[in-house]
Amino acid sequence: MEAIEVSHLVKQFGTLTAVNDISFSVASGEIFGFLGPNGAGKTTTIRMLTGISPPTSGTATIFGHDIMHETVAARQSMGIVSETSNVYTDLTGWQNMMLAAQLYRIGRSERDRNATELLKRFELYERRDTKAHGYSKGMRRRLTIAMGLVNSPRLLFLDEPTSGLDVESNLIIRDMISDLIREGVTVFLTTHNIEEANILCERVAIIDKGHIAAIDAPERLKKTIQSVQSVEVAFLDGTSPERLDELRRLPMVNDARKEGDKFKLFTENPTEVIEGAMAYAQTHHTRVISITTLGPSLEDVFVKLTGLQRGGGISAID
Amino acid sequence: MPSISLSGIEDRLSRELVAAWAIAKKDVLIYYLRPGVIVGGVLFPLFMFLAFTAGKLATPVALVPGLIGITTLFSASSIEPVSVPIERRMATFDRLLAAPVSLNALVLGESLSGLLYSLLIAVVVFVAALIILMTPITNIFLIVLGILFSSLCFATLGTLFAAYPTENPGDIISMVNVVRFPLIFISGVFIPIATLPAVAQMIAYVSPLTYANDLIQGGYNGKMTFHPIVDVVMLIVFILIFQLIANYLYKRFSD
Repeated sequence: MEAIEVSHLVKQFGTLTAVNDISFSVASGEIFGFLGPNGAGKTTTIRMLTGISPPTSGTATIFGHDIMHETVAARQSMGIVSETSNVYTDLTGWQNMMLAAQLYRIGRSERDRNATELLKRFELYERRDTKAHGYSKGMRRRLTIAMGLVNSPRLLFLDEPTSGLDVESNLIIRDMISDLIREGVTVFLTTHNIEEANILCERVAIIDKGHIAAIDAPERLKKTIQSVQSVEVAFLDGTSPERLDELRRLPMVNDARKEGDKFKLFTENPTEVIEGAMAYAQTHHTRVISITTLGPSLEDVFVKLTGLQRGGGISAID
Repeated sequence: MPSISLSGIEDRLSRELVAAWAIAKKDVLIYYLRPGVIVGGVLFPLFMFLAFTAGKLATPVALVPGLIGITTLFSASSIEPVSVPIERRMATFDRLLAAPVSLNALVLGESLSGLLYSLLIAVVVFVAALIILMTPITNIFLIVLGILFSSLCFATLGTLFAAYPTENPGDIISMVNVVRFPLIFISGVFIPIATLPAVAQMIAYVSPLTYANDLIQGGYNGKMTFHPIVDVVMLIVFILIFQLIANYLYKRFSD
């Protein structure tokens, strides 16, 4: 049985169509990435899949339970971690865990055991009796995720789990996601961090303006845009804006951008661009200190499918 | 298979009640001592009582039933107009909306915290009046019924108003006050219904405070406009109406 089955889901707010006839399924035990720029319809989709917001039309089932007609049964098997760290800051970490468990009607001994285990796993057990307003941003995020796992869900909705967190919290959360995959939990991951989706997800869907623009395994998606190969080159004497313009004019270069101390030259013919870059170095009396060819990244796929502009427009992606 | 259905219903009911109690307990821990709740739920009725006493409209002893009536009105309906918008702002309300329970349980849980708060304040007022003013009592059972049903009724009213989709408690408190203040003057709390203009007397019949006040007045001085059963039935009808409207509004505004 599929963990999630979505069929022709539509959500309209007045004249605005936030989600427009999307269909997809997520297999049990799969980790599925849901990517899209801000305002693409990601959060609206999650709100429909979790039964908070009714769809205008279409259906969604969670382990066979229709989210609209069997809402309670569908929700019982899911954990939800929203984008905001929505913990009760006036309650202690322990009280937050107890509240989350009681909403799922978990018995006293089981909720004590689950809460203890999860707070230890997320390195919050020592601070369990401290009110959450005394927690750091990373600790609140970890507590939010622990609350989402308190009912041992078969399906976990994770909305931007690592956005803006410190390295320690990031590592703990990534490890937790890897553990969940090993335990066979289905994860529906929404993220702006494309590299995170690339590493963790078996399949990703890219949603843009309410439509699913693509849905496939990350590697297969990258193969669909082989035209977006690139050559990364660094020169001995730096990266001036004039040089960027000159490199853009090299034969076979479709686009170029500056990345740190390097230039990234997009092309369909990396060999010819390498030759062109070497010749450029010679005529401009400089030296190439490194040159690498790169296949398209998932970010390249995302940019191509969503029509985002690199530079200012790309700020939607971490 | 009736036994299976029955166990299914029991299971569902138990799940809903556990969740409702968890929501109420959370409100008790977080919101009972918030300034907005104290001002709206305790100080307003107290100042109203003092104003009527200072105006020598009646003796303090005669005003005690009215004080208990408006105390339940204000204290029961003061928690949710503060807690729900704050929870919307903190996004914790989404956690409740996404829980595996019905909207009925959510509304009941929210109202339960208002009910408990109101009972607590009303008991304090009742005991204080008994000790300080030695207020005579005719039928304590009617007073208990009045406090209990009116507290639940006004708590559900507060939850209903809190459905309005705002993140600012002030917006909801203003709307609730537009209803609460006129109720005081048309429900026979301090001014007998018989002395009101005809139109106001008609409106008094659709005010839940009229029936709550009737029970409490009856318990203190034995003077009642309606039979106690009528008062209780009317309060139950108001509770059900408020609960249904609240369910509808929370569902509608959850988008």
